[in-house]
Order: sequence, then C-alpha cells, then structure tokens
Amino acid sequence: MKAIEVRNLRRVFRATIGVVRRKIKEIVAVDDISFEVYDGELFGLLGPNGAGKTTTVKMLTTMLIPTSGEARVLGLDVVRSAEALRSRIGFVFGGERGLYWRLSGYDNLRYFASLYHVDPAVSRKRIPYLLDLVGLSDRGQEKVEGYSRGMKQRLHIARTLLHDPQVLFLDEPTIGLDPVGARELRQVVRNLQAEKKTILLTTHYMFEADALCQRIAVIDKGRIIALDTPEGLKTYVKDLAVIEFEVYGVPSNVLEQLRAQPYVHTVSVENRDQKQALLIHSPRGSQAVPDLLSMMNGIRIGNVIVREPTLEDAYVRLVGGEA
Amino acid sequence: MKKFILNLRLFWEGALLSYIALFHWLRPAQYLATMIWGPLASMLFFVFLGTYATGSDSASFYVIGNALQTIALSGIFGVTMSIGGDRWSGTLPYLFGAPANRFMMFTGRALMHLLNGVLGAIIGLTWGVLLFGLDLGRANPLALTLIILVATFSTSGMGLLMGCLSLITRNVMFVNNTVFFLLLVFSGANIELSRMPAWGQAISQVLPLTRSIASARRVIAGGSLSSVVPLLLVEFMIGMSYLLAGYLLFRWFEFQAKRRDTLEAM
Repeated sequence: MKAIEVRNLRRVFRATIGVVRRKIKEIVAVDDISFEVYDGELFGLLGPNGAGKTTTVKMLTTMLIPTSGEARVLGLDVVRSAEALRSRIGFVFGGERGLYWRLSGYDNLRYFASLYHVDPAVSRKRIPYLLDLVGLSDRGQEKVEGYSRGMKQRLHIARTLLHDPQVLFLDEPTIGLDPVGARELRQVVRNLQAEKKTILLTTHYMFEADALCQRIAVIDKGRIIALDTPEGLKTYVKDLAVIEFEVYGVPSNVLEQLRAQPYVHTVSVENRDQKQALLIHSPRGSQAVPDLLSMMNGIRIGNVIVREPTLEDAYVRLVGGEA
Repeated sequence: MKKFILNLRLFWEGALLSYIALFHWLRPAQYLATMIWGPLASMLFFVFLGTYATGSDSASFYVIGNALQTIALSGIFGVTMSIGGDRWSGTLPYLFGAPANRFMMFTGRALMHLLNGVLGAIIGLTWGVLLFGLDLGRANPLALTLIILVATFSTSGMGLLMGCLSLITRNVMFVNNTVFFLLLVFSGANIELSRMPAWGQAISQVLPLTRSIASARRVIAGGSLSSVVPLLLVEFMIGMSYLLAGYLLFRWFEFQAKRRDTLEAM
C-alpha cells in the first residue's frame, strides 16, 4: 500500500527585485515531481543544497501550499485534509533549533505531547520510552541548552514520535552533527525502520542514503532525475571506473583539458584539508592513467587510486557535478 | 468532552511551560525588580511630579493610576514576548505543524502574564497604602478585584495583538514602547481625561485601562460595584476586540506562512 503519493507536484516562489522598478522573478523550487513511497519503506530524497528537498518535505507536511499538482499522505490530501493529516505524521527539520532550550528534554516532550493531544496517561509512559529509544533517558531532566547538537537532534526525533505517527519526514536530520552523533542518529532511524514506520529521509550525504534507504530519488534543480534502489543507482556508472588523484592544486586549464578527452565522462575536485581529490570517471579505468598523468605535467600528485564506482559517483554523474 | 479536556490541558500546559521556557532567564532578583522596584520608581516619579504640580490632595489620583498602569508591563510586554519567543526559538514550524487548537495555543500564552498583572496591581496599591496613605477602607473588595481582573484581561488582549505583530515585524518592542507610553499619557493614569484635547480623549476611548482606572478611582472613593459595571463591560469588550484581532492576525500569519513560506524567514 502507498503511504505517500506525489503527482506532478510543483512549487514556484516569487521574489521581488528592486525598489523603484520592481521586477518579479519566479523561482521554481520543485518542478513537476512524482513519486510514491510504500508502507514501511525508508525512502531517500537525495540532492545538493537548493535542489528542492526541504520544499518537498514542507509541502508533504502541510507547511507549504503547492503551486500545482497533488500530494497524498496516508490517502489524505496535504492541502484539503491538512488538519486530519497533522495528527498522523511527524516531521523533523535539520538543525538544533525548534526546541525550548530552557526547558528540560522531558518538559519539551510534555508540551509537544499536549500540542498533539496525546492523552496524559499515555504520554507519561511514552515519554520515558522515547527518551530511552533516542538514548537520552539519563539526560531527560536536564535543560536542553546543555545538550550537544546530536542530543538535540535525537530529542527532535523523540518529539516527532510522541503521537506515534505512521509516516515520518526527516529533513537532513544529521546535518551539522559530528561523526559519532551522526552515527547514533542513523541507528535511531534504523530502529524506527524496524518499528515499520514509513520514513521519507532527505539528505545530501550519499553514504547515509546508501546505508539507510531502500529506494532513493535523486533530485536536482527541483526535478527528480533518477529513482531506484541504491544498487540500481550504482548501475548508472557500472560502465565507468573512478580514477582518484591526490593533488595539491589543479589549474583550471588542466581541468578543461581533462574534460575535453573523449574517454573522460566526469571530472570533479573535492577539497580534503591541505590537498584535493581529483575524481575522473572513465570507462578505460587504469589504462587511462598514463595519458591523464601526461596532461598533469608539473602538478604535484600524491596517491593514485582506481576503484569501483560508489553511489556518490553515480550521484555526481547524475547531477553533473563538475567542479 | 474528551477533546475539551485535552484542549484545556493544552491551554494550561501552554501557559505554564511556555512561561517557564521563555522567561526562565527571569531570575528571582530580576523578577522582583520587574514587579516591585520598577513600578515603585515609576509611581514615585509620577506621584511626586503630580502632587508638586497640583497639590498633595491629588496623591491618590496618581497612586491609583500608576498602580493599574503596572498591569500593562505584564499584559503588553510579557504577552508579546511569550508569542514572539517562539519565533526566536525556531519552534513556530513545529507549533503550526501540530494539530493543536490554535485558539487555546494562542490564548494560553497570556495566562501567566495575566496573573503577573494582578500581582503587579496588588503590589502597586500596597505601595500606595504604605508610602502615600492611600485609603482603601471604603473600597468594595469584590469590585476592586473585578476591576483588576478586567484590566489585566484587556491589556493582555492588546498584548496578544502585539505578540502577533512580533511574528511579522522585527521592531515590535518599538511598537510596544509606543503603546505603553500611549497608555501612560492617554489612559488617564496621570492626566485627567477632561483636561485632554478632543483627539486625546478619542484615543483614550479605544485603549485598554482607561475605564479600569476610572472605575478603580470611583470604587476606592466609595463607589458601588453597580456604578462601575457599565465601564467594566466596555473595557472587557475592548480587551476582547484586541484579543480577537490578535487571533485573526495569528491565523492570517499562519496562512501567509503556508502560502509564501515565510515561517522561518523572520
């Protein structure tokens, strides 16, 4: 059964530019997207910043009215049945705001339980259970202002589970977390999946989507450009190998020259502390290395690795991540 | 019936927890300064200035006016911060995303400030008795209690409207200060209404507190409850009008936020 159905959803924002000669500029944040999420599925919406992920989540959680198209969650229209839908869904937006920092974690949950009309007898049992679920049972009575960013995010997860919603929307829940905090939060998401919750997770971390999601929609510039399982998405680059050069600065003319080669599909550069990783997708794999090295004459090069493509490589190819 | 009880709980928990959440910085010393020393300093200023200008017989006029003006501190500034605080804490999306009854959520924020307002008026009158010999012997306690309650309700109604403005504008404290000083000048706390120009009297008629202050002076002078009931009814209606205007603005803000995605853009 479908928990979420999105049909030709579109959202346009109008921005006014100028003071005297005012011009209205239209920005298409979400452009005619359609997808479905099944009951109990953990579905990922993967895309770069500004791709339209949060706008999509806002529309599905009744927080934003679509410009056109239709979206149903649990069979309820997100605009016409917004009131009825709110008590059946939960959502978390990334970041540590959205909690009352001067209240304890427990009191935050108590207040949000009353906002969701959770019976006091139920919330008295449910709050300790949820604090335990997100690993905060020993800190529940402390004020939120003393929590780490990861603890605040986990409290957000507990908050959104107070009314036992069937569908959860997690919008970049691990954003800004340190590796340990992010790993703990991902474990919480796995626990929720084990409880058969339907989850729509947005992220721009490929490994996170790969590790958690059963299916992933890749969204870029408001449009869904691919929708498949993580393994299915990797086949987008199965014909290619990834050649990774550790470099210390690459001039733009060299990048242009590399891109111009017929056997080079994608060239991207990632900053890694003092050095950079120059990533080249090519069907020739290791055979291309000598030719590529000859074009990088004079550039200081460290390690050279030829490897199988990952989901991240598929993503880079899909969104055309040429740096 | 169950929904009514859950809404009542939302009202109470919203009142209590939002007060603790947003005013926890108010340590006992700061709270006492806000409730006791600040209003006392204001009262001393206006009583000394007023009696210097008009004679010592008029002290009770200024004492009563400024004791009730204290209510505006909680009613306007406190309630505004209670609503606007959600903007700063980033909790608005989660409030608007909840199925909670908006009216209960909205009005619950005023409850603790209403109680603070009552306390403030009592403290102000106590200062009047202790320092300026205000005579409450002829006052009907029931009538005086009712006056204080109506005054706190009407100023809180205005505070709720100002609180909603704080969701729309960054400069609400400027607006609040303007309103507070409008009350100081036009509510009759320090200047007799009959001495004001016609336009000033017109302003005073639409402000909260004006009729409460007039009623308090009448009851403390020995007037009966029935003699002030018409004034209190109008004052109550003014408070209700501000409250409803605030609630409508709150719903309008919610609708606009959903239409234009402005919830976090403040």
